[in-house]
Formats: sequence, structure tokens, C-alpha cells
Amino acid sequence: MIKKNSSMIQRRLIPTYIFLIIVSFISVFPLYWMISAATNTSVDVSRGRILPGGHFMENFNNLTAQQPLWRALGNSFLYAIVTTLVCLLICSIAGYGFEVYHDKWKDKLFSILLLAMMIPQVATMVPLFQMFSKARLLNCTLGFILPMISTPFMIMMFRQNARAFPIDIIEAARIDGLNEVQIFFRMFFPTMKSTYAAAAVITFMNAWNSYLWPKVIMTDNNSLTMPMLIANLITGYVTDYGMLMCGVLFCSIPTMIVFFVLQKQFAEGITGAVK
Amino acid sequence: MKRKLLSVLLAGAMVLSLAACGNSGTSDDGGSSEGGGSEGGNKLTVWAWDQTFNIKAMQMAGELYAKDHDGFEVEIIETSSDDCQTKLTTCANSGDYSTMPDIVLMQDNSYQKFLKSYPDAFTDLTDCGVNWDDFASLKQSYSMADDKHYGIPYDNGVCAAFYRTDILDEAGYKIEDLTDITWSKFTEIAVDVHKKTGKYLLTSESTGGDVIMLMIQSCGANFVNENGEAFIVGNDVAEKCIDLYTDMIKKDAVKLVNNWDEYISTVTGGEAAGIVNGNWMNATLTGIEDQSGKWQITTLPKVDGVDTATNYANNGGSSWYITSNCKNPDLAKDFLVKTFGSSTEFYDAILPATSGIACYLPAGESEVYNEPVEFYGGQPIYSTLVEYSSHIPEFTKTPFHYEAREAVNTAIINITNGTAKEDALKEAQETLEFKMSE
Repeated sequence: MIKKNSSMIQRRLIPTYIFLIIVSFISVFPLYWMISAATNTSVDVSRGRILPGGHFMENFNNLTAQQPLWRALGNSFLYAIVTTLVCLLICSIAGYGFEVYHDKWKDKLFSILLLAMMIPQVATMVPLFQMFSKARLLNCTLGFILPMISTPFMIMMFRQNARAFPIDIIEAARIDGLNEVQIFFRMFFPTMKSTYAAAAVITFMNAWNSYLWPKVIMTDNNSLTMPMLIANLITGYVTDYGMLMCGVLFCSIPTMIVFFVLQKQFAEGITGAVK
Repeated sequence: MKRKLLSVLLAGAMVLSLAACGNSGTSDDGGSSEGGGSEGGNKLTVWAWDQTFNIKAMQMAGELYAKDHDGFEVEIIETSSDDCQTKLTTCANSGDYSTMPDIVLMQDNSYQKFLKSYPDAFTDLTDCGVNWDDFASLKQSYSMADDKHYGIPYDNGVCAAFYRTDILDEAGYKIEDLTDITWSKFTEIAVDVHKKTGKYLLTSESTGGDVIMLMIQSCGANFVNENGEAFIVGNDVAEKCIDLYTDMIKKDAVKLVNNWDEYISTVTGGEAAGIVNGNWMNATLTGIEDQSGKWQITTLPKVDGVDTATNYANNGGSSWYITSNCKNPDLAKDFLVKTFGSSTEFYDAILPATSGIACYLPAGESEVYNEPVEFYGGQPIYSTLVEYSSHIPEFTKTPFHYEAREAVNTAIINITNGTAKEDALKEAQETLEFKMSE
């Protein structure tokens, strides 16, 4: 009876599986196409060739001959890692503070902060540029990271997740003699690892893919980042699609690695799990 | 342990970021500290795009000039055309031009908008020493306002009709049959070629196609009047162009595609037997090695029934501008005048390296320009194109070139989909007026 039931369930699941296979094929195909295009010549890509070819090294050599790939990768890593670390520290302290400490103005302040989420980045571009130019912060890492290290979204995310953090732990720690800073680093930080992981993935990807702001403040060749490099590949009269896809591949790999490594924690962090 | 690791990481990160700032603040080469205009010295910073074309040409110009000027150097910062515009807008709106380079490359079609909006961003070049008659009057006009010259024309946007002679042969036509013809004759041949070979003599992007702009501008007209106001309704020339174009679409003489990548793939895939566009299509075509020897160029078709109609038009191109942030304008002017502004030797050198066709008319007479090009079955296309460029009629420019193009193309699609012509044109007129008022 049990056997019959389970085979019936399996049969019932067939359409679901077929649907899922189709959906996963649709999601994975652009990724496959990117990799396959990176191994084909520009004309082949333009003619719609889907199978992988043997021109990867040629595309790669063209790319490195034309663009400072390693420097761009290095810059992107530097900017993204620094931004992620600083952003996590600042936003988690802010989120923790908003949730754990009490003050009558706290919620009003938080609402103002959330309102700031409504202002698009483009609208703040000109005044930001003016400020950074006057402060002589153009063409440097600090100029890149400063506008990104504290975002209302991240503070909100940490605050939401801090709600799940048992307040008893804080009280127990206080009784045991830990000061507030120690409680944050020794109690909150290790408990909220999955939230940090999720926030790290989101911040890293945002910083890595960030284009408009760095393009405006980075006015010298040494500060080139990967998205800027990709943009340079499509500005000419002729687009070498093979080379372009090779560049896109190099630009995508780091974010993919970060995501895959932190995938489990990311899912937990987004759902607000506390262990 | 973990806490220590975290503090080390954070401290390291801060040190790195501060160190990076420190570096950019100092500069030992006499050049700029923030990528902006150079302060004195022998170095000029340039914003330009396209490594194989504009940047290459600028590098060669720098090398040529350095031969007679010890220590001269150009630093080129690769900046796409869109980014040039975004950065310029940001600088202008914040009133801080200090990060602008000495020289900037700008698209001819969009320059007027910037000159009108930010006239203090550019330097007047009228008396810089260039003989302006050496450039076609149309090319000069793109970078002019109130009879003052602001730019040195560089990238020539002269148009040509590129045809696949093998496909024409198959359909029983020769390139001569398509030379100096009218658009209605072209439609007739295109329909026949399509019937016999299944290939299209013309492909175009449906929403941003250039063909309609080429048609009207080849008549010395535009979708704006002399005062720069939208002029679509009641514009006879515009209506003739739109009629001819919609007729081609209805007769399936033109293949409409959705975007630029598809446009290119009609050529690489062999579906296109012809392309009517700027000479810069040459760079794409010559990349398709298996089509070598099969292409030839000739003049554009002209619009029927318009007195001022010609077989010549321009699409795109760009010019060099000296910004108001340039600290050494005399050097920048001298550099541009002695290379892009007057040197046949320079244009001869960049042609084989970049396929860049000069706006500088005397260059077309040189031997290098008259050499046969194997890809085009031995046609000396470069001198031919320079010659075409001298015949292009002038027309009223508008800062709203792209907006006009989009409005009219949308009207054309609406007409082919059954909307009455008057309604579609009225809508296009209103759309363009609205965009102009924004």
C-alpha cells in the first residue's frame, strides 16, 4: 500500500519536475551562452553559434592586450572587499543599536532613515560629486566606498534580524560583566553569522557591480573597475562579441564564487534564522 | 582569535583605502592629480572611446607631435561616449570643471545639446590656425554656434550604400544599377532581389533606425525648422521620406530588426544584401573575412520629387574639443592643428591602422587614400568616401537629434500597423515638442 502510494506521488510529481527542468534550463542558459560565446569568434557569436568553440585564448589575449584586465580585477576586489567589511561593521552596529537600545526618538529617526531609501542614487549624484571634489576624494578608494558604507537597507536588514536575537543573552552577558562593546562582538556577532553572510553577499555584489558612481569620480586609468572595463568594450564602432563575453565571464566569476560559498548562510540570513 | 582576525582585516582595509587616496593626491609628472586638465607642462589629458579607432588615432597623433616637441605626451582616459556626456553633465551641474580633461571627443549628433546647455565648458577654436575650408561645411557646422568654431572635425560620418555584389549578380543586377538612383527605384530593385534571392537590400532597426534620418538630411532638411522647433506636420520633405520608407516596409523591401546586435547579425549571417549607413560600417564588414571581395560601395538612393535631394548624407562621426579646464590651451590648440587639423601625413598614417576616414578633405587626394581595397573588390573606397563627404548638403541641426529620430520611427511603425498617417505624424510632432520642452 505504501509502495503504491509513493509511486503515485512520484508520478504526480513528473509534471512538476518537467516544469522545474524547463525553468532551470531557462535560468542557466544565459550563463552557458556567456561561457560558450567567450570561446567563439565575434562573427560566430553574431551568427548565433551556441556550441563552444576553440577561440577562448584568442579572445583572452585580445582582451588583455586592449584592456588592463588584472588591474581592473584588482581594483574591483579592493573596492568591493573594503566596502563590504566596512559596511557590515557600520550597518550591523547601527541595526543592533536601533533594536537593543531604547529612546523615544529612535523610531522617528528610523523612519527618516527609511525615507532615504526612496531617494534614487542618481538624484544625489551632483551634490555628492561636488562634496567629494572639494574634499579631494576623487580617484581613491575612500571616494568609492564612502557613499556605500552605510545604506538604509542594510541597517534595516540588521535591525530586523536583531529582533530574533534573544535579549536574555544580552542581559546574562551584562550580569557576567561584559561591557556593551564586548556584548556586541562576543555575543551578537557570532550568533548572527548567517545575517552577516547574507549582508556580505548583497554588499559585495552591489559594490562589485557598481558603475555610475565610480565612473563619475574615478577619472584616471589606474582606477578602472571591471564594470567600467566591460563598458569600454562596447563603445566602439565594432563590438568584438567573443572578447566582450570573455570580459563578462571574468567579471561574473568572483560574484558567483562569493554567492556559492555563502549560499547556505545567505538563505538563512534572508529568512532571519538565529542559531 | 576571530575578533583579532576581524580587527586586522578592518584595519588593513582602512589603511589600504587611505593609502590609495594618498597616492592620487600627489603626482610627479607635472600632469594632473585627478585626471583633470594638465597644469602647464607638456602633457595633455584626453577623454575618448574605442581602442581600435579614436584612441589609436589620438595615440598616433601624440607620437607624431612628440617628434617635434620633446617631452610631449598625451594621456588618454578611455571614456565611452555616454560616460563622457554623463561626466560632463555632472561637472557642469556642480559648477566644477576641474576634473574635465584638456581635450574631449564628442559625438557630432549630441554635441549641439552640450554646447547650448554648457557653453562655458568649451574653448573657442575659431582663430586657432586651422583652414576651415579644408573640412566639408557640414562637418564644421556640427561643432559651430554663432559662427564660432569649437571643434576639430575628426571622425567622418559620411554615408554610403554597401552592397553584396554576389547577391546582386544572382538577382541579375550590377552595382551601376544602384548608383545615383532614387528611393523608389531602390524599392523596386529591393523587392525583386528579395523575391529572387530571399535576401534584403536594406535592414534597419525598427525604433532607432538611421535610414529615415539619412533620407531627410540628404535633402538638406530635418525634422526641425530653422528656429529649431519640431517640424513634422506640414513638412513636405519629411512626409515624402516617411511615405517612401513606409512603402518599403509594406512591400517587404526592408528587414526591420529590434536592436543593433540583430542589425549586425543580418550582415554577418548573410541575410543582408545591402546596408545603407555611415562609412564606419566598414569596420564591421571587413571583420567578416569570408565575405571579402563580395562587397562594393556606391552612392545612396535619393528622395524622389524633392528639388534639394542629393545622393549624399552623413550619419554620426565625432570631433575633438578643448575644454575650458585646459590649463595650456595654446599647446592643446597647436597639437590639434598640427595633427588632426592640417596633416595629410598624419591621416595617411592612421588610415591603415584604424580605417578612420578623415574629415580633412586634402587627405582624400593622397596615394594611401587612393589604394584599392581588396575587401571591396579593389574599389578605392577611402578616396571615394572623402569625395562623397564633400557633397553632403547642410541642414538645420537640432540638439534633439535622437528624440526626433525616435519620434519619427515610432510614427512609421504606427503607420505600417494601420494608424492614419495624419494621426501618426501629429503624435510624432507632439512627442518631439514635449521632449524639447522638458
